[in-house]
Amino acid sequence: MKRTNVRYWTAFIILTVMLAVLLFWNINSGSVELSVAQIYQIIVKHTGEKTAYNIVWEIRLPRILAAVILGGALSVSGFLLQTFFGNPIAGPFVLGISSGAKLVVSLTMIFLLGKGIAVHSGTMIAGAFVGAMISMGFILLVSRKVKKMSMLVICGVMIGYICSAVTDFVVTFADDSNIVNLRNWSLGSFSGMSWENIGVMSAVIFTALLLVFFMSKPIGAYQMGEVYARNMGVNIRMFRLALILLSSILSASVTAFAGPISFVGIAVPHLVKSLLKTAKPILVIPACFLGGAVFCLFCDLIARTVFAPTELSISSVTAVFGAPVVIYMMVRKQSRSL
Amino acid sequence: MKDYFVYTEKMSVGYNGKPLIKDIEIELQKGQILTLIGPNGAGKSTILKSMIGQLSLLGGTVYIGRDELKKMSEKDLAKKMSVVMTERIHPELMTCGDVVSTGRYPYTGRLGILSEKDREKVREAMEMVNATELMERDFSAVSDGQRQRILLARAICQEPEIIVLDEPTSFLDIRYKLELLTILKKMVREKNVAVIMSLHELDLAQKISDVVVCVHGDKIERFGPPEEIFSAGYIRQLYGITDGSYNAQFGCIEMEGAKGEPEVFVIGGGGSGISVYRQLQRKGIPFAAGILHENDVDYPVAKALAVEVISEKPYEEIRPETYEKALNVMRKCKKVIGCTEKFGKMNEKNRHLLEESEHLL
Amino acid sequence: MRAFKTVFTAGITMLVMLASCAAAQGAETISGLTFDHSMELEYAQQFSVDCYEGGYALIDIVESGRFLVVPEGAAIPEELDEDITILQQPLNNIYLVATSAMDLFRAIDGIGSIGLSGTDADGWYIEEAKEAMEKGDMAYAGKYSAPDYELILSKECSLAVESTMIYHSPEVMEKLEDFGIPVLVERSSYEPHPLGRTEWMKLYAVLLGKEAEAEQFFAAQKEQMSGVTDSANTGKTVAFFYINSNGIVNVRKAGDYVAKMIGLAGGNYIFSDLGGDDNALSTMNMQMEDFYAGAKDADYIIYNSTIDGELQSVDELIAKSPLLADFKAVKDGNVWCTQKNLFQETTGLAVMIADMHRLLSGDEVPDALTYMYRLN
Repeated sequence: MKRTNVRYWTAFIILTVMLAVLLFWNINSGSVELSVAQIYQIIVKHTGEKTAYNIVWEIRLPRILAAVILGGALSVSGFLLQTFFGNPIAGPFVLGISSGAKLVVSLTMIFLLGKGIAVHSGTMIAGAFVGAMISMGFILLVSRKVKKMSMLVICGVMIGYICSAVTDFVVTFADDSNIVNLRNWSLGSFSGMSWENIGVMSAVIFTALLLVFFMSKPIGAYQMGEVYARNMGVNIRMFRLALILLSSILSASVTAFAGPISFVGIAVPHLVKSLLKTAKPILVIPACFLGGAVFCLFCDLIARTVFAPTELSISSVTAVFGAPVVIYMMVRKQSRSL
Repeated sequence: MKDYFVYTEKMSVGYNGKPLIKDIEIELQKGQILTLIGPNGAGKSTILKSMIGQLSLLGGTVYIGRDELKKMSEKDLAKKMSVVMTERIHPELMTCGDVVSTGRYPYTGRLGILSEKDREKVREAMEMVNATELMERDFSAVSDGQRQRILLARAICQEPEIIVLDEPTSFLDIRYKLELLTILKKMVREKNVAVIMSLHELDLAQKISDVVVCVHGDKIERFGPPEEIFSAGYIRQLYGITDGSYNAQFGCIEMEGAKGEPEVFVIGGGGSGISVYRQLQRKGIPFAAGILHENDVDYPVAKALAVEVISEKPYEEIRPETYEKALNVMRKCKKVIGCTEKFGKMNEKNRHLLEESEHLL
Repeated sequence: MRAFKTVFTAGITMLVMLASCAAAQGAETISGLTFDHSMELEYAQQFSVDCYEGGYALIDIVESGRFLVVPEGAAIPEELDEDITILQQPLNNIYLVATSAMDLFRAIDGIGSIGLSGTDADGWYIEEAKEAMEKGDMAYAGKYSAPDYELILSKECSLAVESTMIYHSPEVMEKLEDFGIPVLVERSSYEPHPLGRTEWMKLYAVLLGKEAEAEQFFAAQKEQMSGVTDSANTGKTVAFFYINSNGIVNVRKAGDYVAKMIGLAGGNYIFSDLGGDDNALSTMNMQMEDFYAGAKDADYIIYNSTIDGELQSVDELIAKSPLLADFKAVKDGNVWCTQKNLFQETTGLAVMIADMHRLLSGDEVPDALTYMYRLN
């Protein structure tokens, strides 16, 4: 027991340190040169030259916090779905959530803008969230009829395809300019976050994360398989419902505020589990949050500084770093079990 | 209310609303082992799954103590009943200790953190199954036999009043089969739990059960202690055995003996003939066996495998008629094998048979 | 759907006309300011300018809002309507995203006022812009949907001139406004008349205080056009299109300004009844089959190279679809290709129309005109 405790403490310390390092690095990076001392003054003492102040408080900090919160949400959501489906490549968007969000966003944009009504950013966020929740609603309906979990994944994928098909259909009749923008939205971005956004996303995501944390016990039971979980006293129906709901809310929030971001939800849980060498939810859930935050901060840093002022799409960066990790994990797991 | 611990009333089970087995009436006391036997697909697993709540009952009631199964909350049921199922599970990155600890689920707090008492129970359970050294080992890295023991330990540390096991010995070799059942028996004696399980191994079922339930067709055909259930004729009928036979006394199966005119006459007795009978059967050579007393150890095997058995009543000296009969049969055979050197007062005539055979050939 | 669009456009047109009338009558009264005159706009319908004594000017852009230009050092009137955005001169370090506006700024010698651009140096065909970027006077601020806010803030940007694309990224607009940078969404693409687009230079002139230069330049443009617009229709038909990588043909709709340009040049756009009257910058995709049926007898073909790249020969064109070999214009050798700078050089629209007119009237023309060249 002692040895594992040491391991766990070390893992958490490593993750926290990495987070601190990346926070520091991120806040010091940007198109405009600001010295560490300046930034210190601005953050801690709230004094400083107006432009620099704005840059740090209104541009860098909201963006960094968004990367932390959304990255954490994504990886916890991925962990939940991987456990639930017993599938190592399940991710936050396996249930068709992002396709539903994209559908509603495209309908909103094309419909409202087509009528010359300007769209508020809050409307787009709400639209994306609603679309994601509608997809989730379908999945919940289906889950009542379906006994095997593997079926749900297939349904999710199918729903994803249906939404994409409808989106493409609608887009065909849209003006060219609208199409370009859907592509922008689909690639995901942490740009342009405001403190308002941070407020809303924190409220929703932290509530969901807290609820997930308190579900550690049934999730751990579920890792033994549904039969044993039921025997241990887990109400499988409620559990299923709660899990779908919470993971959908987490991924919907991310999609709403930043668009779909790939690979964080798939890769980070694996990384975290191999660091901790355990899958116990009570440890993995907080570790995933930290891991996801670290991963997203790192990728966002690269996305916005490497080719400044052009921003790379965050999904491409996460894919570049995430996919090799997933492949490596799979290969190692295979070779070990052989 | 009856004074049984577990009993069912007109229980009906099945899938998708279609009843597979109806009017199930099972009764079991604490400290007893009940085994379900029956052919493949008869519905043993269905019954067990319905009893643990995985499948909804299509009709009737299951009582545990004074409570109806349906009305119990999941938590209460978890404290009363634990299971060991056949399917292999694949928990990720869990040690054997972790797996056993999950048995404490109904007793731990909100976040599932184990108290000292819980850890103590886990240790005890693992000791009971002789798996203490496996505590830190990865569950997926241990052998099948060890895994089943761990799962049994898990069921034990859930501190149940009933343990339900679905073919727990299916994947195990003979050593682990015995080991597991021994532990089960110990559990029953020490903790006074009731055990409901299904087994394919009839010999084990016969030896370990206090109550045997035979599932056949759409009902419970027979229900009672093993002595009442295990007769060769019934087992044959229950399982529809056409090739071979079932030896009720020993609870073992015998394959079909070679048919036709006996070519070999085997003089056996006292257990010496058994291996010869089996060899001949393997080679497909029809044989006759004699003279065997009906209470001889060789007798049941000979009965199953030989074309003809010349037998004598138990505890009697071999009568002259019997001796004549044997001689006639022996004369028709091409070869005689004498298996035993020991001749006593009772089977003195066998020595004569042996001497006669030397003259014949 | 189409009926709805027609009604909607009619409604808008009425509103615009009403607004122009109102402007002409000087309906805007601002406390503390004395109305002087309304700017005379011959073709532009999407904006109006009311000039007040003391150098103040109220710009009203259809659906984009109102902006009050306040001269340097002058007082800002109190009691202004809430929807009026103040633009205090001098307006330096403008963040320009709407590419079509760059040429207009160039015409009024206003490129110096632009500090940030939404297009990279390589993306500009306008020499002055390219130079300014290479010299470092103009900085690239990233894509309009994800601009480099830090850079924009650090350069003390005073105004952002965006195209209607910004409506797809409302959070960008909101963030810029939060930083105190006013956003002006230009709507020149909605101008029905090609010269209406060019007339927008007068709006930018008001921002920079260069009204005289604008008047001069615009008058010269009109001169060039007058010879052309007076002449009769030549009866020749023109097809203007490009073919994308999926083999689909992208053509202009009948209300599109390129179609209008062809009309002004004395020609007939081949798809004269295509599409409703939406946005004047409207195109649509068409199957090769339908395009063949509709355009195979067009007298002239002008291939739009700005999306796919410039073609070098007729063979390259036919390689995109063998059916094209059958077209009358191809057989007659009347295939032209636009140059990539066509859509950026908004001031050159008059020249473009004049060139087309020369082509259509059957005069001898060199193989290379200002904005297009013949494909052989």
